[in-house]
Amino acid sequence: MLADLALVLLDTANRVLTLLLVALGLAVTFGLMGIVNLAHGEFFLLGAYAHVALERLGLGFWWGLLLAPVFVGAAGWILEVVVIRRIQDRPLDSLVATWGVGLAIKQAVVLLFGPASHTVAPPFATTVAIAGTSYPVYRLFVMALALAATGLTILLLLRTPFGLMVRGTVADRGLAAATGLPVRRLDALAFAYGSALAGLAGAATAPLMSVDPQMGVGFLLPAFLSVLVAPASGAFGTVVGAAVVGGSESLAATVVSPVVAQLLVLAGAVLLLRLAAGRRYGRER
Amino acid sequence: MSREPPLPALVFWAVLGLAPLVAPGWLLAQLAQHLGYGLLALSLAWVWGQAGLLSFCQALFFGSGAYLFALLALGRIPGLPDSPWLGLLCAPLFSALLAFLLGLALLSARIGSGAAWAVMTLVLGVIAERVAVTSPWLGGSNGLVGVPPLAVPWPSGTFELVDPLPLYLLLFAATALVHLALARHIASPAGALVRAVRDDALRAAHLGIDPLRLRLFVFTGAAAIAGLGGGLFAAQFGFVAPPLLGLGLSTEALVWVAVGGRGSPLAALVGTLVVKGVEELLGRWLEAWWPLAMGLVVVAVVLAFPAGLVGGLLARRGRPVPADVAGGARRAAVRTSS
Repeated sequence: MLADLALVLLDTANRVLTLLLVALGLAVTFGLMGIVNLAHGEFFLLGAYAHVALERLGLGFWWGLLLAPVFVGAAGWILEVVVIRRIQDRPLDSLVATWGVGLAIKQAVVLLFGPASHTVAPPFATTVAIAGTSYPVYRLFVMALALAATGLTILLLLRTPFGLMVRGTVADRGLAAATGLPVRRLDALAFAYGSALAGLAGAATAPLMSVDPQMGVGFLLPAFLSVLVAPASGAFGTVVGAAVVGGSESLAATVVSPVVAQLLVLAGAVLLLRLAAGRRYGRER
Repeated sequence: MSREPPLPALVFWAVLGLAPLVAPGWLLAQLAQHLGYGLLALSLAWVWGQAGLLSFCQALFFGSGAYLFALLALGRIPGLPDSPWLGLLCAPLFSALLAFLLGLALLSARIGSGAAWAVMTLVLGVIAERVAVTSPWLGGSNGLVGVPPLAVPWPSGTFELVDPLPLYLLLFAATALVHLALARHIASPAGALVRAVRDDALRAAHLGIDPLRLRLFVFTGAAAIAGLGGGLFAAQFGFVAPPLLGLGLSTEALVWVAVGGRGSPLAALVGTLVVKGVEELLGRWLEAWWPLAMGLVVVAVVLAFPAGLVGGLLARRGRPVPADVAGGARRAAVRTSS
């Protein structure tokens, strides 16, 4: 009984923290910068496939984990400079354009790697005994990585000059530019950072699931919901959002079917947004 | 763009009306299918282009219409007779009811525009497809097959609408009527109010317009159009399957409307016929490269032709398209031009 409970709690924590890792990139690009990047799921996908490709090249697991975010961050930089910057004042259009980019990325992955699924071997296949149940060490590693990435992101945004400049740019572009901040470069850098986080999430979770072209979709939507229901934009709020969305879905799925669990989470998210509507009044966009 | 120039629409419908004289049966069947998708595109052009509600779940209402038609035609709804005509009548009504309830839940939570709305509609579409896949009553992932076609009593026995020509004429009439009604609405004062809410909901509210009511009206009405298209689709092909509800078709419709032009229903229709036509011609040849090309085309169109390819041409003939056709941007003034 205790072992069952421990397993449920561990699985829930695992789901929440994995979701947090995916949602963290969105917290920067969507929550902070206000850009809805529908290619975020495909950036997650790119991270996982970059990992697969780097392993094929003979580089080990840790190099893959390190280089995949760099590669995806570069892809994010290009997307910001080539597409998003040009349609900054047309928010709905940037949704459609980034969705087109996502479609192209996903299909390019299919063409390069085939529609079948790939696997990445975890660096440690051992399990550890926790409260009477055995749990894979790699899952615990991903959970720790999610917490570490969140902590680093919070430090980066709140405690560094870069973070201050990014927040200043978001708060008032005109004033930031007038005081001499390189607002365009900050946009691109911040967006690339958020994208790199998606790549990190893809590379880190690749050993936990089958790497196939559809893997991005399953995480994109809960991640967006997490950022939407987050009580505050930025990394802190996203921790709460991911805990609410991932936790409730994971716990509900132990009682009802996964589809019903998703419906419940969606209904809950709408309810939360409705309760928060008063707070958001006046800046409805 | 508020009012379509009438000449291009007349030419468009005249060409399609004369098509049966020259087109072979297979082409008519294909055109009939694409006109059904055209209804979906009209519905999306209304919610997205006019009301500024970028919907990623418009196929949900197409699919729900198709499923309701199939359920009624197969007699799978207890207490109701198995009747295709009743199905065709109820398909748009059911889709509209669904949209009304979902729209009310989202809009009254002040999820009325922009990112939150788009994400919520995305989630709705994905969940709807999964519901259909997991429900045995809806046929699971195989969907429902053997849906009986529409039939009319004829002196020499019942006449079933299965041949390309009668099906084409049915789809032609339905799509043309919907297009006419939509164009009239868009040119009417009510259509101008819808655009006022799109351009600045807060200002519209201060002028005494209820944004929620107008958005709900458009969302519900557009769902009825999509539901009609779905019902006709099921009547035409005799089967329904979960992909009709899902994200895939919703975003495909987004491509048609973006490429054609969301500002005008005619442009959205032409976009649908052109994109689907090119897909039929090149899709088999391009295979996996087709979605890749589609993705890049969408990006290019959004960057270079914000009003769409056809929409841009139409605008050159008629009045100029406002610089911000996306709507919702604060700096855009309320345009109450009719």
